[in-house]
Amino acid sequence: MTADCKYEGFPAVESASPIESVESDGKQLSALLTVDKLSLVLGGKEILQRVDFSLAKAGVTSVIGPSGAGKSSLLRCLNGLETCWSGTVAVDGKDIRQWRGGWDQLRRYVGLIAQKPVVFNASIRANVCFGIHGWRQRRRADELVEQSLRQAALWDEVKDRLDASATTLSMGQQQRLCIARAIAIKPKVLLLDEPTASLDPRSKQLIEQSMLQLAKDIPLLCVTHDLEQAQRLKGRTVFMCDGRVIEQADCDQLFKQPQCIETREFLRWSVCDCD
Amino acid sequence: MSLLPTQHRDALSKGMVLLFALPALLIPTTVLCYIFWQAMPVLSLSFVFGSADGAGFGVTEGVFPQLVGSLLLAVMACLIAIPFALATALYHRTYATPHQQRLLNTLFTMLQGIPPIVFGLCGLVVLVNLFAWGVSLLSGAVVLAVVVLPLLVLNTLATLERIPLTYSEAGSALGLGKGAIIWRLWLPRCWPQLLTGLLLAMARALSETAPIMFTATVFSGVVWPDSIFSPVTTLQTHIFYLAQEGSDPLVISIAWGSAAVLVLLVASFGLLARLLQKLGAH
Repeated sequence: MTADCKYEGFPAVESASPIESVESDGKQLSALLTVDKLSLVLGGKEILQRVDFSLAKAGVTSVIGPSGAGKSSLLRCLNGLETCWSGTVAVDGKDIRQWRGGWDQLRRYVGLIAQKPVVFNASIRANVCFGIHGWRQRRRADELVEQSLRQAALWDEVKDRLDASATTLSMGQQQRLCIARAIAIKPKVLLLDEPTASLDPRSKQLIEQSMLQLAKDIPLLCVTHDLEQAQRLKGRTVFMCDGRVIEQADCDQLFKQPQCIETREFLRWSVCDCD
Repeated sequence: MSLLPTQHRDALSKGMVLLFALPALLIPTTVLCYIFWQAMPVLSLSFVFGSADGAGFGVTEGVFPQLVGSLLLAVMACLIAIPFALATALYHRTYATPHQQRLLNTLFTMLQGIPPIVFGLCGLVVLVNLFAWGVSLLSGAVVLAVVVLPLLVLNTLATLERIPLTYSEAGSALGLGKGAIIWRLWLPRCWPQLLTGLLLAMARALSETAPIMFTATVFSGVVWPDSIFSPVTTLQTHIFYLAQEGSDPLVISIAWGSAAVLVLLVASFGLLARLLQKLGAH
């Protein structure tokens, strides 16, 4: 479902795929995460208004839109950092409000990577192991550390100094360490809130490669202000404005043939800004 | 428009600031110098570490029993206060509603302003008489714990409030519960600041005289406490009693000597706290 366009003469635009199934690489994949009429009010202000969309079992979905559109708040709702919302969010067909084990358990299932990397005051190894639970997982911690750091494209840079403090890493490396820490707990969905904001091009490229690699196994929902990044990541693109999903479609379709006037305006102004 | 040129105005402003700042710096420095000047005739290692047998009451021998008594009271008071302070601050930060948070803030700010002698009086009535603990190390330590509790709570709160929200949220996003966030994220991050607050609380406990006069200390006949229910001698009350015997110049010198030892003790805790603060900043 998509929100109605604001201007008369523009019909409501249907999303390219229904909630129940999403097309990826020519295959029909059933949705792993569905969001239905999600609304959030904070401090008397409507941050999200009846947001609807879904994520397939793999692939990248980029969320674009102007500042204050509610993109980051959407991720916080899906990860359970915001809990006072209305509507339905279901992961694997189960409402996350009735999740067994509560919000803490849900957050292990739906991982979140923040815009600014936050590493803990501990070694690189300890940072990756932070979310690992249970003796079985802990017994194979070294294996998990290597696997996660490799997936986050950081292993080669830190393999000789795993016991060094994580704070000695550069910003780009810290962000990749955060990705490794999040994937070490084997989430089923990964949410990324502008993961490459204010990073150098090399770090950006490494993180994007890592994201594309991860997206083969799990769905990634990535909020980004970088439209070129959204195009590089391919997959689906969701355009949000004023707390609503205005339009969602495959990346090429949304960027080349936006159906809604607000999307067109946003893309036009964003391209002007880039120029 | 001012008639004076900018550079003159700046000089005038600097002069005004210095006029008031210098006395604030000079007066305490002068007092400290005066204490050590007066204490010089008696200050020696044998004075600080000399142990009295109880007969000279610290006049003819050293002040080691008083020094140990003061330290014992301060350490015990802080040990008693730490769990309560930590639990209160963690409750405030983690579980309390905004209304409860405001209430706790007001309560502890108010408690900090209550004169310690009032706590001493309460300790005398409740601990010494009602609980029949007598004038003892335990009674004094409990009263001192109540005196330093607001300081410890407010310091712990300030320390926890300095932890960025994003730090805790990064833990939450990994599925860590509140307990894990407290023990695995907050405490390892802020222990130097918590230790700094503890040392400042110990310095505060060492500075208090009034509350322990009623509840913990005696002047004569006691050297080392046998148990936590025995009374102790402390530097603070030692100085107080010696100053009252002001006619004998030797006694007055000993009082200055004891004051110098107490100042050094409090200052060493303050310096250690500063050192830890620097360590925490790195």
